[in-house]
Amino acid sequence: MEALLDINWRLFAIVTLNGLTLASLYFIVASGFSLIFGLMRVVNMAHGSLYLLGAYIGFEVSEATGSWLLGIAAAAVVVGAAGAALQVSILSWMQGQDLRQALATIGVSIVAADLMLAQWGGSAYQITLPGAVSSFVPVPVAGRYAMARLMLIGFALVIGIGLWLMLNRTRVGMLIRAGVDDRRMLEALGVNVPLVFVGVFAIGAGLAGVAGVIGGSVLSVSPGEDARYLLSSLIVVIVGGMGSIPGAAIGALLVAMAETYGLAYTPTYGIVYTFAIMVAVLAVRPQGLLGRAA
Amino acid sequence: MASDPLLSVDGLHVYYGSSHVLHGVTLETGTAPLSIVGRNGMGKTTLCQAIMGLVPSSGGEVRLGGERISGRRAFKVARAGIGYVPQGRRVFRSLSVDEHLRLVGKPDGEWTVERIYGTFPRLAERRRNGGAALSGGEQQMLAISRALLLNPRLLVMDEPTEGLAPVIVEHVVEVLREIGRSGVGLLLVEQNLTVATEVSDRIMVMMNGEIALETDAATLLNDRALRNRYLGVSAEA
Repeated sequence: MEALLDINWRLFAIVTLNGLTLASLYFIVASGFSLIFGLMRVVNMAHGSLYLLGAYIGFEVSEATGSWLLGIAAAAVVVGAAGAALQVSILSWMQGQDLRQALATIGVSIVAADLMLAQWGGSAYQITLPGAVSSFVPVPVAGRYAMARLMLIGFALVIGIGLWLMLNRTRVGMLIRAGVDDRRMLEALGVNVPLVFVGVFAIGAGLAGVAGVIGGSVLSVSPGEDARYLLSSLIVVIVGGMGSIPGAAIGALLVAMAETYGLAYTPTYGIVYTFAIMVAVLAVRPQGLLGRAA
Repeated sequence: MASDPLLSVDGLHVYYGSSHVLHGVTLETGTAPLSIVGRNGMGKTTLCQAIMGLVPSSGGEVRLGGERISGRRAFKVARAGIGYVPQGRRVFRSLSVDEHLRLVGKPDGEWTVERIYGTFPRLAERRRNGGAALSGGEQQMLAISRALLLNPRLLVMDEPTEGLAPVIVEHVVEVLREIGRSGVGLLLVEQNLTVATEVSDRIMVMMNGEIALETDAATLLNDRALRNRYLGVSAEA
């Protein structure tokens, strides 16, 4: 009896840690998605493609140079630039036409998925982590747990705090907050809002790219991940509130925990809980937990 | 060479879809304040937005000091020297008073953040408060201040006294008169005839998307028939 109880607690701890690490990954992907939506009202349906592109670039660069950090940096820069190019070359021409922009980004994601399939094929890759973190560390109750997954939680915290500081303590953040409130008024005060848009798109896309490298290191990279992380980002920001970074954190936590506990304890219904949460939030608070009424 | 007027609007047309809102508005103003009055829905707000480049015009042009500004994006119009105080004030609810001012303010120039705090002590007291936490009068002071910090040549103000308590309206009128005296041009759109006539001598009446009448404050105040005809009100105060 005692042994059984002991095993259950250990399982519970591991599942909880798995949930937290998945939440961390969801948060990093969704924060960029939410940042872009908050300012520009663009539902970027190509956000998952940016994630996957980041993962592949991270793979290539870290394989070629042997440096994982260089892989992260390359993914952030290249995917950030890809996001900026998407805004300049396509989305800026349909400013304010939300539906058209969403459709255009769906088109981009389809093309991007095929181009990436042609380049990297259909097999799964794993990005090699630095030796120091590819180990197991002792954790109370859970026993041993992968260092890399714990590191993921640290990454999410660093990115979350970094984003908060940027939004609340810098001039760029001030411009972004003012733009979220009333972008036309901001422009009438002499601020080059189109340029701010490009910058924010680059930041949001860069975050997706970084998430791709982290996700591809801790989990794996393969075609189809783009749709998976787009879907998770959508659910996370619908639950947490479009445009809110703290909302993305809470949404990521709720969605990832529901998914992980659901799959561990009631495998048959695992996927249902995520959508149950979304339906409940939409019924009670359609703007999301921390979202503002439109 | 004749000097160019500060602002000249020539035959300005604006459509919202198929509805023709501005029917060739033509006006000129210098550094003396000019008020535009008119009933609701006559196109006054659209005129302000078209001057600012916030709505596209489909004909005619706007010049600031002789330089063509119509067709430019709003931020370029603002940088060319027009400060905009919009209807409803539109302060940013996520920004504190201090952030509003630092967003626009530059260390040099005639108007600095410190000078604003000196001119509006109430804003200095509330500098840490968020935009949404301010009273209507405070929001109006803030909206005027952030426009002044651009060090504009012309201020375009859309109903700055709308929804304010009478004692606050008096204060706003004082501020507007002071701005008018400081050499900054002022284009004031108002529904409140008393405010318009206190701020400027020169008054234009807008009707159905056109300037229907140009007159002066005394004439408009003394001629009840004129007011009835153009404004459909006997006098608002």
